[in-house]
Amino acid sequence: MRLQAALFVAACVSPAAAIYTDEVNHIDFHHALLGAPSPDSTFFLRPSTSSNASLLYTISEKSILGAVNPRDGSLVWRQDLSRSASELTGGAGILRGLDGNNAVVGAAGDYISSWSAQDGKLVWENKLADESIADLELLELEDASATSSVRDTLALVSNGGAGVVRRLDGDSGKTKWEYKDDSGDTPFQVSSSSTNVFYISLQSSILKGYKIKVTSLDSLTGRQTSHHTLSSDADVTGPESVLFVGANSASPLIVWTDKSLKSLKVNVIGSKQVNTVAIDNVSGQEIEQITVHAAHKLNALPHFLVLYRTSSGSWAEVYHVDLKAAKVSKAYQLPFVSGPSVVATSSIDANVYFTRITDSETVVVSSASHGVLGRWDLELKSSERASNAAAEVVAKGSAVAVRAAILRDSGDWQLIRNGQIEWNRPEALIDAVAAAWVDNDVQEDLVHELEVEGHETLHGAYIHRVKRHVRDLEHLPAWLTELPSRILGSILGDEVTNLDSFGVAKSVIVATQKGRVYALDTGKHGAVTWSIQAVETSSWDVKAIVIESGEATIYPSDGSSITLDVSTGAITSRSSPKDVKFQSIATIENKVLGIQEDGTPASSFDESTGYLVTTSADGRVLGWANSDNKIPVWEFVPPAGQTVLQATARPAHDPVASIGKVLGDRSVLYKYLNPNLVLVSAVDTKGHTAGFYLLDAVSGKVLHEAIQVGVDANQPISSTISENWFAYSFYGDATDESSAKGYQLVISELYESDIPNDRGPLDAAGNYSSIHGDSLPLPHVVSQSFVIPEPISHMAVTQTRQGITTQQLLCTLPFSNSIVGIPRPVLDPRRPVGRDATSSEAEEGLFRYAPFLDFDGKWYLTHARDVAGIKTVLSQPTLLESTSLIFAFGGDIFGTRATPSQAFDILGKSFSKLQLLLTVVALAVGVSFLAPMVRKKQVNMLWKA
Amino acid sequence: MRFFLAAWLCHLAAASLTITISPSSLLPHPHSLPATTHATLTTSDRVLTASLTRSSTLVFSDIPSSGPNSYLLDIRSGEWVFAPYRVDVAADGTVLGIWETFRGNPWDNRGAEKYVVDIAGKAQGDIVIEAKVVGRRGFYEERAKFSPMSLVKNPMILLAIVALGFTLGMPKLMENSAFPQLPFPTMAVDPEMRAEFEQHSRSSPITGATSNAMAGGGFDLAGWMAGTSSGPTADADAARGEATGRDTGAARRRG
Repeated sequence: MRLQAALFVAACVSPAAAIYTDEVNHIDFHHALLGAPSPDSTFFLRPSTSSNASLLYTISEKSILGAVNPRDGSLVWRQDLSRSASELTGGAGILRGLDGNNAVVGAAGDYISSWSAQDGKLVWENKLADESIADLELLELEDASATSSVRDTLALVSNGGAGVVRRLDGDSGKTKWEYKDDSGDTPFQVSSSSTNVFYISLQSSILKGYKIKVTSLDSLTGRQTSHHTLSSDADVTGPESVLFVGANSASPLIVWTDKSLKSLKVNVIGSKQVNTVAIDNVSGQEIEQITVHAAHKLNALPHFLVLYRTSSGSWAEVYHVDLKAAKVSKAYQLPFVSGPSVVATSSIDANVYFTRITDSETVVVSSASHGVLGRWDLELKSSERASNAAAEVVAKGSAVAVRAAILRDSGDWQLIRNGQIEWNRPEALIDAVAAAWVDNDVQEDLVHELEVEGHETLHGAYIHRVKRHVRDLEHLPAWLTELPSRILGSILGDEVTNLDSFGVAKSVIVATQKGRVYALDTGKHGAVTWSIQAVETSSWDVKAIVIESGEATIYPSDGSSITLDVSTGAITSRSSPKDVKFQSIATIENKVLGIQEDGTPASSFDESTGYLVTTSADGRVLGWANSDNKIPVWEFVPPAGQTVLQATARPAHDPVASIGKVLGDRSVLYKYLNPNLVLVSAVDTKGHTAGFYLLDAVSGKVLHEAIQVGVDANQPISSTISENWFAYSFYGDATDESSAKGYQLVISELYESDIPNDRGPLDAAGNYSSIHGDSLPLPHVVSQSFVIPEPISHMAVTQTRQGITTQQLLCTLPFSNSIVGIPRPVLDPRRPVGRDATSSEAEEGLFRYAPFLDFDGKWYLTHARDVAGIKTVLSQPTLLESTSLIFAFGGDIFGTRATPSQAFDILGKSFSKLQLLLTVVALAVGVSFLAPMVRKKQVNMLWKA
Repeated sequence: MRFFLAAWLCHLAAASLTITISPSSLLPHPHSLPATTHATLTTSDRVLTASLTRSSTLVFSDIPSSGPNSYLLDIRSGEWVFAPYRVDVAADGTVLGIWETFRGNPWDNRGAEKYVVDIAGKAQGDIVIEAKVVGRRGFYEERAKFSPMSLVKNPMILLAIVALGFTLGMPKLMENSAFPQLPFPTMAVDPEMRAEFEQHSRSSPITGATSNAMAGGGFDLAGWMAGTSSGPTADADAARGEATGRDTGAARRRG
């Protein structure tokens, strides 16, 4: 009831600025990302026995498990295992699925879980205590006792170095049996056949190297039936030396090579015999990489392919296995092709197909013979090397069709169907660490010309202007030819007015952790305009991207910089790293200044007329004047026990439309508009308190402070400041039974005085100083606190051109994967408490305070989208006062246009130009039809009368 | 190994908390809930999470036993809003009680009781409570659809249609019937009577004025000011006079 009431009130006051259903995918875009798929755990699978179409399943290196629709590349569902896994052991997770099983089983770190393949709902989950998962397989055949179609899972767990094999029930995840290996061997893999489970471990031999030990377990009871070791100690130096261990009876193989890469050693699991096949190196080049590809499907033929990569190209050999005799024989060879290539395996019934994708073509062969079943040229050649692929082959009579999902080194995940690129998912964007808007400076030339005219004599300026207009005439033919299409487009087009020229189609430069730089066009649904590998690294700690006159300069923490052209991505200059580590990068009047870990600026900034506030690693806030970069002007140390979390200043673009707030009785409450405000949040982890301090950045004087108790420091604490207000959010636990428990959002507004029409001590003063005299007055602070349903991990404020439009507090909600824009009128700390608003308060837009603030559905900028992992939200004004551009990154990429006071300066989609034209035409037709009639009637009347 | 298994079983035996989402009038198909649906148990320094299972339940299988705690149970699911619960847990991890709670209210302000521990101290099995759906968020703004009916319902359009009906329909009606006030306008009328009526109505002051206006100007202002034409009242007077004298024609032409 309370909730409904709250919702109702909220709905009454909030300016309806929600998105229309027909604007979805039109004004907003969303890249739902998984991260780079891991090679062994990416496959096509039919989600249930009843469905015909298959989905593409993967677990990414970010431990996000997901299903992608191979038709259009859209995400069907995903689950982030890293949330549940407490420790991730470096490597990517493992994902297993089998046709005929309705669930996929994934594991990451110490967490194993089974998910419904169709809709991504949990089947069971297991958290391992002090163990980590080493391998996972789905058990091949149900035993007689099993009734459900769900297959049991075999999990190989490393418990402090000792291997434990467990059989987990497919429905509940409970352990049916477990086998613990106490011999001290390195647990490596598990494999299964219809009757046995094989536990493969690496036994370190006396001298060096490892022997492969195969322990055979009864699949029903888990009892050890036999074990044997393979003498591989001369070849195997570690787990990475074993190329392949088959999962089930389709490929019961252990494959490794000798050290000189001259011969391939193959053991059929269960037998003690090791087959040695000579590697027929026709290219004569050194082999760099060997990969083994075999079918996963149970009834598939035991054929496998070995791909040999050299520095310039690759070839592949196909081998057949005689399971009874445990013999391996070479069937045929796929010829050497220069350039990179990847191979994927797929099977239809018992037939196994190998798909080989090079940078120019796709070839499908059957495992049985070397005849090419299908060959397609790639229509768009990619310069990026493909690193792995998963393929699905469909046979239509004698012809085949193939679709293959390829991961490129750039991080792009592409689906190629018969040589055509069907979709492309820029998975590398999941690592985005920094982003910046590009200001389109198309008007810059004109501004320059006008400046020239302003400085010339009257006569000269006139001549210049005439010349300019004559020059402009050369654009006339082009303008005239595109005029019809423009008119037609504006009538029939989706958008009533093309707003691109109003700055709603801006580019964003995004830098990722892996050293890539992307340009995304927000006007084209976030499409990638260009992307380059700027640096070869896996941990690019970008601190700032500064964009100036068509060039973007990226500053990582090591003191280096890279400058790129924003329209092409070409690198124009680089500077080498210095022997420093910057914690942040400050920009003062277009000059860039590195801030060191201890909070000191790297150099003095004499030429700028600014001042600087930094946080130091030991939890202090320091203020700096431009002349000195050694000794700070002031220092703020929070009370004992508290450490500084964050220091926030007003945004660089923060226009103030009105210096006061007009009250219902026409009196004015003047805003406290200090441009030098800094909001510092500090937290005491042990004492469960958090302090929020408002400082004057020039003098370091504390203008206001608030201490909150019962704060959980492990939960997100976020804050923001803008104009004359600031907001912060935290989790507050109930300190006693009569206090509230939950997430809280506090809003504070600053006024010059608590009395209307009064400007406080400054009154009519034209100037004031933060330092000289004691004149800096303290603000009058009005605060209100709300209980909100979930945590806020990041806060930002919508920015518009003039600041006339109402602001929205943009909050990232990590628990519901969304971004919500709370209208400022709802967060007005002057809302009357405990009584209804008087008529003059109602005129101001104030309404009764309610302690619980539920997020109205209309506030959700992300509406029904699942926008996960957002770390930062950027807002940018456009030329339209009503519209603010929003760009969110850090996990998914999301962009939209926010119109906090509705799109008052844009014709909406409901305005139909066609309808208007038709009405005018209909009126004209009506008039031309009625006019003669009326004239005739009048004439007749005259004659008749 | 046996010890380990025992520990494992013990671990599982710790009471689990299951929240079921059953069909309700607000949410008739709980299976349609998105896969991101999850529940959280929150208290100071701890957040436990449970994902939605295939059977539309949320299971907390291992509530840690570290001191008595009072948890806030939230269920979050896209557009669906669920009621929050208060879950009290004893030091050994057993659930003592579950109540509805109200956000923004004192923590001891408890609502309906969902579960409370058996005082007799029976072995605690799995606790099953039901989630309560309280609403659905509307993310989208409705756009007013164009429909011909809405156009017809517009009062301005209605007025215009009525006016049009009068202007077009009235003369027809008048032509067909001598006495529009009669209930049966189609009845046979004596032609003589009709002619008389028409003459009468034509010369009536109102019809006279209207036909004057229709004939293109009515009152001749310039003439009247120059004194060459009679005023509008005079015109009407004349008309009245004519009506009595049953003389038509000359006066009409003058207009």
